[in-house]
Amino acid sequence: MNKALRNPAIYILFIVPSLILYFLFFIYPLITSVYYGFTDWDGLNNPQFVGFDNFVKLFEDADFLHSILNNIYFICFSVGIQVPLIILFALLIGSVKRFQRLYKTTVFLPSILSTSVIGILWGFIYDPDMGLLNRFLGLFGVDTIYWLSDEKTAFLSILITNAWQWMGFYIVLVLAAILAIPKELTEAAAIDGATGFQQATKITVPLIMPIISVVIMLSIAGAMRVVDIVIVMTKGGPAGSTDVMASYMVSRAFSYGQYGYGTTIALIIFVFSLVLTALYQIAFNRKASEGVEY
Amino acid sequence: MKKSFMMLLTLVFVASIALAGCGSKAETKTTDEKTPTTDATQTPTEPEKKSEPFSITLRHIQVGEPQKNRLAILQDVVKKTEADVPGLKIELDGVEDNTNRNTKLPAEMAAGNVPQIFDLFGGTKDAQKYAQAGKLLDLTPIIEELGIKDQFMDLSAFSVDGKVYGLPIGSSAEGMYYNTEIFTKYNLTAPKTWDEFENILATLKSNGVTPLAGFAKDGWAAAMLPNSLWARYAGPEFIAGLKDNTSDWTSPEITAAMTKLDEWNKKEYFVKGQLGIDYAGRIGQISTGKAALMFDGSWSSSSFADPKQAGDVVGKIGFFFLPPAPGGKGDQTAVNGNSSANGYGFRADLNENELKAAKAFIKNMYTLENQEKGLLTDNTLPSMKLPKESTDKVTDQIVRQVTEGMSAAGALFPVFDAFVTSEVNTAIEQNVQKLFSGKITPAEFGQNVAKAAGK
Repeated sequence: MNKALRNPAIYILFIVPSLILYFLFFIYPLITSVYYGFTDWDGLNNPQFVGFDNFVKLFEDADFLHSILNNIYFICFSVGIQVPLIILFALLIGSVKRFQRLYKTTVFLPSILSTSVIGILWGFIYDPDMGLLNRFLGLFGVDTIYWLSDEKTAFLSILITNAWQWMGFYIVLVLAAILAIPKELTEAAAIDGATGFQQATKITVPLIMPIISVVIMLSIAGAMRVVDIVIVMTKGGPAGSTDVMASYMVSRAFSYGQYGYGTTIALIIFVFSLVLTALYQIAFNRKASEGVEY
Repeated sequence: MKKSFMMLLTLVFVASIALAGCGSKAETKTTDEKTPTTDATQTPTEPEKKSEPFSITLRHIQVGEPQKNRLAILQDVVKKTEADVPGLKIELDGVEDNTNRNTKLPAEMAAGNVPQIFDLFGGTKDAQKYAQAGKLLDLTPIIEELGIKDQFMDLSAFSVDGKVYGLPIGSSAEGMYYNTEIFTKYNLTAPKTWDEFENILATLKSNGVTPLAGFAKDGWAAAMLPNSLWARYAGPEFIAGLKDNTSDWTSPEITAAMTKLDEWNKKEYFVKGQLGIDYAGRIGQISTGKAALMFDGSWSSSSFADPKQAGDVVGKIGFFFLPPAPGGKGDQTAVNGNSSANGYGFRADLNENELKAAKAFIKNMYTLENQEKGLLTDNTLPSMKLPKESTDKVTDQIVRQVTEGMSAAGALFPVFDAFVTSEVNTAIEQNVQKLFSGKITPAEFGQNVAKAAGK
């Protein structure tokens, strides 16, 4: 048995199927995408090679530049507002004694729903005439707000919905890390007279930094590839103001049949995500190595 | 020994996975090979002979309440076709119109796995594009054999080089629906002149009634009213000129038309928040009295005959075409009329059995009886030449007003989307929405579209 496992051929045999699949569904499409990104292709006729035309057109396309901006807003919102809230909620849930499992399940619930369901559900909440939100605000005499139809509020509405959907998942992640911290540490701190706030900021948060780093990275990656919630809630509207890069790609490639141009957008998204994740990894790994351990 | 045994075991394991993957493919191949042989022995004169069962998929867009009458006609045709062709089973695959036309079908066309029969729109970015790419079955021999070729009013949107690649199920016209009850309340009647029309909008607005329904979340729906405005201000020739890209989008007439639209938008004549309301929301706006008028296609008239959809306004809806615009170019009596919109297309590489099914489907679907049934039960204007005794049977008030308006018109102008390239279509849809959201000026609209048209 051991002898057999020492033979490299065995390992290769096991790896080959997955390598084939990986090549078929990842490497091959990637290579063909690079090719199609340089063509004018309607999906039906033979692609025409156009060199860098698509890329030039892309960076002159005001709608696309606006969608990049939206992705950046998305990242800022995820990292700047969502992550601190996630930590806060995780700390709160981690410190309660009763019904902890109930809270855990409750916050986790939205992330098991499909995005379409959530998009439609929140569509009702944001409905200008009958929606829960406007009805509630109406009690205080607030005028009708056209949440998803008004450029000023549409993107924020999507951000909030998206946060509602995904925060629970990350809260549970962070919570698991918090609960894994040995009790002795917080107990010792309490004996030394540390307040709850001090315990949280001086002990718990530094100790769960690695998991927070993962959450931030997942948030960035999630914000880069977000598309479904936008398509379900606004289709990129009103007038393209909530389009993110991926939804812009979908509408260009599939709705308007510009497959070559759509592929160019896909390539740009790929490069952006790669660069962002790499930058983050470099920046955070340096910091994390100086982190606290127990 | 052990080692080679392990190797063998692993090999078997890997091989079994690989073979399992090939399994179903091999299986389909054998049935594929079998069908033509049974087919060869199969003739219509000996139906008692057991025939090899086969199935085809039919993609239709008759989903949801407003389409139920259309679905009923289709189901009848499917039943008849299945009875005509031994062994045939037709699988109905219902997909929402816009999803099918703009997302699903294009992707299937690219991948080469379209259903055997599918809903298809006429025009340059649908039927003609697919036909030129060799994806559609040439129907000319079939309709010639069935003797129905000359019964269609107009097949040009489905034709390339004189060959027909699709058959329209009906025709349509776009105009203004209005709530007669609200009109009576404010002493208004269907307008004969542009001033009367604008007066209606202003009167309603000043009385706190939103004049126009709004559903601009869907780009194509937002572009319906502009199409008729262009024809009013720049003449029907403008729309006709889109065919060979000779129309000038930056002309003062187009700017004037868009300025009028912009003015109505700024005066809040449209239902508020229209950029967030999709096309499906339009009927509700009229049935609840939220808006008094709605610019839409004749296909929506059946919804106003159905209490389930239209509620209290059944029988209280009228229809008129936009009146002549002051100083408008060209024939101001022309109205929008599309001799063909959507219909059915067929996959180019049908096998012998499927071809029989397609032929039977065409024979059963495109009959004067069905055209009359569509007109009477579903308010679908015919795409085939119906005799006068059929059209005289129409009792629906809206359909009568549509057909009377069309026959009184000096000419008919079509909708732009059958002629323009997908780039221009994208630009029109997006820029109409941008105009509504106040991001661009009416003049910029023309410039942006002209740029997409390569001018």
